[in-house]
Amino acid sequence: MLSLSKAEKSYVQAGLLASPPSRADGRALLDFRSVALETGVAPLANGSARLSIGRNPHDGGGGTEVVAATKLEVESIDEDGEGRDSGRIACTVSCSPSAYPHLSSSALDDIQADLTSLLHQTLSHSSLHPRNLTILKSKKSWLLNLDVLVLSDAGNILDALFMASRAALWDTRVPRTRGVEYEAPSRKDTGKGREDMDVDEDEHENTQKQSGFDTRRLPKATDFELPDYWDEGEVLDGRERWPVAITLNLVSYSDTVIMSIAEANFSLQESPTHFLDATAQEEAASPLKLFLAFSFHDAQATVLQGMRMLGSGELTPSHLKELIKACTFLSAVGENYARELFVALNAKLKDEDVRRTQKARERFELHR
Amino acid sequence: MVRIEILNQGGFRSDGRRQFELRDMTIDLSQQGQADGSAVVTHGLTHVLVSVFGPREAKMRSQTIHDRANINVEVGVAAFSTGDRRKRARGDKRILELAATIKSTFEPVVQTNLYPRSQIDIFVQVLQQDGGLLQACINATTLALVNAGIPLLDFVCAVTGGVHSTSPLLDLTLLEENDVPNVTVAVMPKTGKATLVTMETRLHVDRFEEIFRLAADAGKVIHGEMKSAVRSRTSELVTVMGSGPRASGGDLVDKDGDDRMNGY
Repeated sequence: MLSLSKAEKSYVQAGLLASPPSRADGRALLDFRSVALETGVAPLANGSARLSIGRNPHDGGGGTEVVAATKLEVESIDEDGEGRDSGRIACTVSCSPSAYPHLSSSALDDIQADLTSLLHQTLSHSSLHPRNLTILKSKKSWLLNLDVLVLSDAGNILDALFMASRAALWDTRVPRTRGVEYEAPSRKDTGKGREDMDVDEDEHENTQKQSGFDTRRLPKATDFELPDYWDEGEVLDGRERWPVAITLNLVSYSDTVIMSIAEANFSLQESPTHFLDATAQEEAASPLKLFLAFSFHDAQATVLQGMRMLGSGELTPSHLKELIKACTFLSAVGENYARELFVALNAKLKDEDVRRTQKARERFELHR
Repeated sequence: MVRIEILNQGGFRSDGRRQFELRDMTIDLSQQGQADGSAVVTHGLTHVLVSVFGPREAKMRSQTIHDRANINVEVGVAAFSTGDRRKRARGDKRILELAATIKSTFEPVVQTNLYPRSQIDIFVQVLQQDGGLLQACINATTLALVNAGIPLLDFVCAVTGGVHSTSPLLDLTLLEENDVPNVTVAVMPKTGKATLVTMETRLHVDRFEEIFRLAADAGKVIHGEMKSAVRSRTSELVTVMGSGPRASGGDLVDKDGDDRMNGY
């Protein structure tokens, strides 16, 4: 997004390809800037998180900052409607003009559309679909809306988007619902003539109507209610599965110089140098980025949920494979970076859970 | 069916405030992103973030004015800002109206004649809404402009006022705004002049003067808050920059004969 002159580009690339490699802020190739995460920032939403990468700790400026929030809406399942029996997920990304102050509003819309489609396609995949989004089978289900707002972008926006989305989805609480069935009053009732409303679908007052031999139990609930409960709801199913994304920025020697065809063919043999967490300048100077989204289902299974090659560079398939898959446990590649990110993010999310429930309760006790 | 009382017998409103009590206001002037000036203002549960870029070269030459700066306001409302999620496109009429209102409020206040052919961009981002949206946007915009160092004639302080049967109320929440005729007033505290008065409900003419005066007074109270926030932010910056008595032995405070400036 930032436009650099050729001299600046080659300066940045030369620094990255040097040995030892040097970056403008003194980081190593694989170092991330400091990441700050807070959940529960939007109390009106069902789940929310605010994430910033590289925010200046003294005055709080700069850095990439993203707010994600999930909101659950009830959807009716009709033929012409879009509701589905097991619920739906819809993701939207919107960018504040303050994040890209040099762009016109149509270019901003383009960026929004790109980020939205990437996020939506990766997260709405059926393998990640949570199983507790049904309210009433074939009648009502939850539509989970994930809205992400980009407040500022100083590079590495994709990692930030996916981290914030994962945190917001982790934080989401689905309200508990209970099916409700309406029964007409029976003639055999007492003289009070009371009507049976709000009967739990498991209890049938008029067992005389049903034969003892009838073992069918058809759900007849037509509406639902939200019972009073002390918490906001149950957690979203499968919240361990949400993917974590890592963007590998690739620079190779052939990008820095103009060479003959023979030299270019030769240089294709060497694998490109990759680095993580690019600032805006470094992003503009690396012609190719590899975006990988990994989902760690259980301790063993690692699934590549999404992959994109962004930019105008080229990559041979063997190099691509090296960058994605961990051939040995110690090899420094995309999967391992993603795993480290996953572990760190989970640790922080557990911390946040503790902070908001246990510690809050302790603080409350102190004040009382 | 529960009926929430706007103002009960004891003189308390639905959120526990008194009639003329304003909501808790917090002001955060720390830098956001790459903005030249920014402010996050909360009035109770209404959170608004405003970033100001400028004065800088205009993106479109056609929008420049030969003798003054062009003020461009863009408002974005987050989809999760209200109780029910609603995605508002940037070209939404209500949002465009809000942006146009903010622009016309600040046109006479910003000293645009100092920056001909340039552009001042004001980006408003609404993070959470609970009534008093225009009021929060205007207060945050004033602070962001001050933070960006753009010369203004004066602060602009806004507050909402409403009348519940005959009792005037100040700083309305969403619940009260939907129920009670209300007016938003923005004043410049030094002169007491109003730079914005907007009302979308029907209010009896006899009640209007009272609520208008009250809102103007409340604006002065908000001005006090804003001034102290700007002062503390500036003194923090000065401390951090290490400014103190200069080696040449000059005075710590630059006293000259300008009474009006020193009294500020």
